[in-house]
Amino acid sequence: MRTSVTPLGLAALILPLALLPAIARAQTATSTKDFAVIGTVPAMCAGGTLSGDGTFDLGVLTDTTTGLLRTDLAAPDKVLVGSFCSTRSTLNLAATPMTAQGFTATAPGGFSRTVNYTATASGWTTTAASFDTAASANTAATQIRGTAFTGDIVVGIGNFATGGGQALRLVADPNYRGLVTVTLSVAD
Amino acid sequence: MGQAPSPRSTIAALAALGMATSAAAQSAAPATTASRDLPVTGSAPQVCALQDGQIQPGGLINIAGTSGASLQIEQFVDPQTLAARAASATVDFTAVCNFPHTMRIESQGNGLWPTDGRISGPLQGFAYAVPYTAVVNWGGSNATLTADGKVRQIVQQSFAIDQPAQGTLSLRVEIAEGASNVENRAPVMAGAYADTLRIFLEPR
Repeated sequence: MRTSVTPLGLAALILPLALLPAIARAQTATSTKDFAVIGTVPAMCAGGTLSGDGTFDLGVLTDTTTGLLRTDLAAPDKVLVGSFCSTRSTLNLAATPMTAQGFTATAPGGFSRTVNYTATASGWTTTAASFDTAASANTAATQIRGTAFTGDIVVGIGNFATGGGQALRLVADPNYRGLVTVTLSVAD
Repeated sequence: MGQAPSPRSTIAALAALGMATSAAAQSAAPATTASRDLPVTGSAPQVCALQDGQIQPGGLINIAGTSGASLQIEQFVDPQTLAARAASATVDFTAVCNFPHTMRIESQGNGLWPTDGRISGPLQGFAYAVPYTAVVNWGGSNATLTADGKVRQIVQQSFAIDQPAQGTLSLRVEIAEGASNVENRAPVMAGAYADTLRIFLEPR
């Protein structure tokens, strides 16, 4: 007669065998194993988001009775909100003079097609970065922050001056344009 | 049972995979530099400005001076002949135009005409208007306006300046000895005579 074993009966046979090693391990000394959990945070910088439209619009640059550069030129500051660098960083500020985009020829005697100004960027470093478009060198344009940081960068412009001298008048042009560039970089 | 991909579709799939891998690698790379550009804009509208005139001492003949914006002739006629006396003056204006423009000078009457309405027309042998010339120098160009007194009307001269200009606009007004709108050295009818000169700096 052939013996038939049901699955339930097979399980009952195997179970006592499986318990044996567990009983034997419980009788040994405690053993530990370390598993390292690792990750990296890359050095990175982000410029944040701009407040407003990001353009310094000065409007009419000249006194319309004299043709000379206005002495009350001003534009609201721009804020780069939530800028951050995850490590030591460099803030560099650069700017180009405002120049007449339509009148591209050399301005005739007594006239200029250039407006210089000074741009500043503060809030990131102890000393604000500044850039004078009339200067041949701008040693304060680059500032270093020694630690990781997140915050706002306030960018402003001022100290407007007619290129070539304040006695010169600006040539008529509906579009004078310059550019301020703020760059955050991971420092070496 | 699935259909085996053709060689062409396999290559296409591999290429697509390669692109996806490359894009993933780029997006994963940390940005070590962040930069923002902030434009600075403005405009300089077209402006012409002409300041009050200053009479120049050099070349001043028979002119008493200026009264406001008027040029006063000291002795308009010779008391013996009643013919017009020579008179001349130069008036300088500080001026500026910051764009290419036109200078235009205009005489309202085409000569010096009586301001008194009682003198209504010509009288044989008498001058009833006094001609003169006006020369303008501006921006390296000049124009001569001849107001001959023949017909009372507006006359003008103009010239174009191809670039912005600033400095002195010089106006020279000259009445010749014996000037007359009829015969030369004709006696001038009694009365007060005047004309209005207008100088325009305007867009072309």
